[in-house]
Amino acid sequence: MDLLLQQICNGLVIGSTYAIVALGFALAFSVLRVVHFAHPDIFMVGMFAGLVAANAVPGMALVVALIGGAAGASALGYVAERTIIGPLRGRDMLTTLIGTLGLSIILQNGMALIVGPDPVPYPALLPSRFYDIGPVMLTLRQIADFVLSLFLLALVSGFVRLTRTGRATRAIADRPDVAAAFGVDVPRVCQKTIVFASGVAGIAAVSVGTLYGSASAFVGLMYGLKAFTCMLVAGNRYIEGVVAVAFGLGIIEALVTGYVSSSMKDAVAFLVLIGVLYVRPSGMFGSYAA
Amino acid sequence: MTVLLRIDDLAVSYGAVPAVDNVSLEIEAGELRVILGANGAGKTTIIKAILGLKRPRRGSIRFDGTHDLLALKPHEIHRLGIAWVPEGRQLWQTMTVLDNLRMGGFETRDQVAVQRRIQEMFDRFPRLRERQHQLAGSLSGGEQQMVAIARALISGPRLLLMDEPSLGLAPIVVRDVFRLTREINAMGIAILMVEQNARQALKVADAAYLLETGHVVDQGPAQEIAGRDSVKAVFLGGSA
Repeated sequence: MDLLLQQICNGLVIGSTYAIVALGFALAFSVLRVVHFAHPDIFMVGMFAGLVAANAVPGMALVVALIGGAAGASALGYVAERTIIGPLRGRDMLTTLIGTLGLSIILQNGMALIVGPDPVPYPALLPSRFYDIGPVMLTLRQIADFVLSLFLLALVSGFVRLTRTGRATRAIADRPDVAAAFGVDVPRVCQKTIVFASGVAGIAAVSVGTLYGSASAFVGLMYGLKAFTCMLVAGNRYIEGVVAVAFGLGIIEALVTGYVSSSMKDAVAFLVLIGVLYVRPSGMFGSYAA
Repeated sequence: MTVLLRIDDLAVSYGAVPAVDNVSLEIEAGELRVILGANGAGKTTIIKAILGLKRPRRGSIRFDGTHDLLALKPHEIHRLGIAWVPEGRQLWQTMTVLDNLRMGGFETRDQVAVQRRIQEMFDRFPRLRERQHQLAGSLSGGEQQMVAIARALISGPRLLLMDEPSLGLAPIVVRDVFRLTREINAMGIAILMVEQNARQALKVADAAYLLETGHVVDQGPAQEIAGRDSVKAVFLGGSA
């Protein structure tokens, strides 16, 4: 019983990061109709931008790292949108997919050239502290990561539901031509969407680096695959659906790790994907048409 | 009267397939003109070219004498005062009726006027006030058409482009839509309508263009056009 609760809590922490990366995929796909394979690598660059910022200002490392992660990732998101995603948007989906995949490879290997192919230690932005909450034991870093993720998820939800630009993103996702004909500057809203999603991912990345105490040029790969799975399983119509599936996947993985074997957890994620898509090809909660 | 919209020698293709060719037409401020044609004659293509959603191969489209629409993006064209009632309504299905109307005034500076017009639309269509918090996709076809027309009027347009407003509606609703079209026109808003329902459209329009496989084959005052044998044969049908 204790193991069950412990693994559910661990799963929620993992799932919260999947959720944030998955929302970036979902926004890019629903608003721009682009499979944004470079998004997890923008997450990765945000992690290193936070690392650089933290080392530059050791006095208030945590705050500076979060700001650095957000700034680095959103700046890269802007450049990616201007150079690759924006110009290719509206073409064949395979064209944009190859474009973002190319960017992903460049970012991974470019970073590996700078920092090396192996994981590097991440600064300890939060003290190593443990808390016993009933039968469950959590670290301060886990709690901080989870709370920060919830805050970021609320931020994305608020952006989409409550802001003017967010309403425009929903209008574009549903009917891009009608949105344009009713005054929405579609290319500009697309740009804002990518920059916003990138910045959110950058903040989450700093937290994940702190949680695991390491950063790697290839950290985006695993998060990308899992987050992409979440988006496909949920469908991209409701961002809350994507978040729910991400938490679910985190919990399933943690349970498999706890009760079966950690080497099985990745296989389970993709079994879930295949199973759901077999029954509901457009995801559990529906998708905007491609 | 001043010419509000003038299209000269328009040619649009989809890949190598020409959709319309050598189309010229104009509409004066406050007029109601209709483009008649069968499926695939190129009617919707003309509307999309005006809106900036489809780039022509050749020709010119000018609004209000001074604005070259081909040099503008869709959202800039909208700001000039051109609004659209798309074929098949095309509401934002996952938004409420109210949000659809609000989006109609997305780019309108005067948000007080937007609020006022939304209330005016609710006065005109009480069913929409009752259903303002429902998702637009859950309404009936006729109600959706009312939302589509109301959405287009929220920005206070000078020119309304209506693409097959009667398509897929029950006959009694079709009559409502044409009556509404005439009322909107009477408010001083110019309307360029595209229709297959020639009989009804010619009753409300000032002038008509006949479009056949991408070419304007006839044009003139609506009453004259309605009387021509070629029109009867092609668009009105023998018994309809």
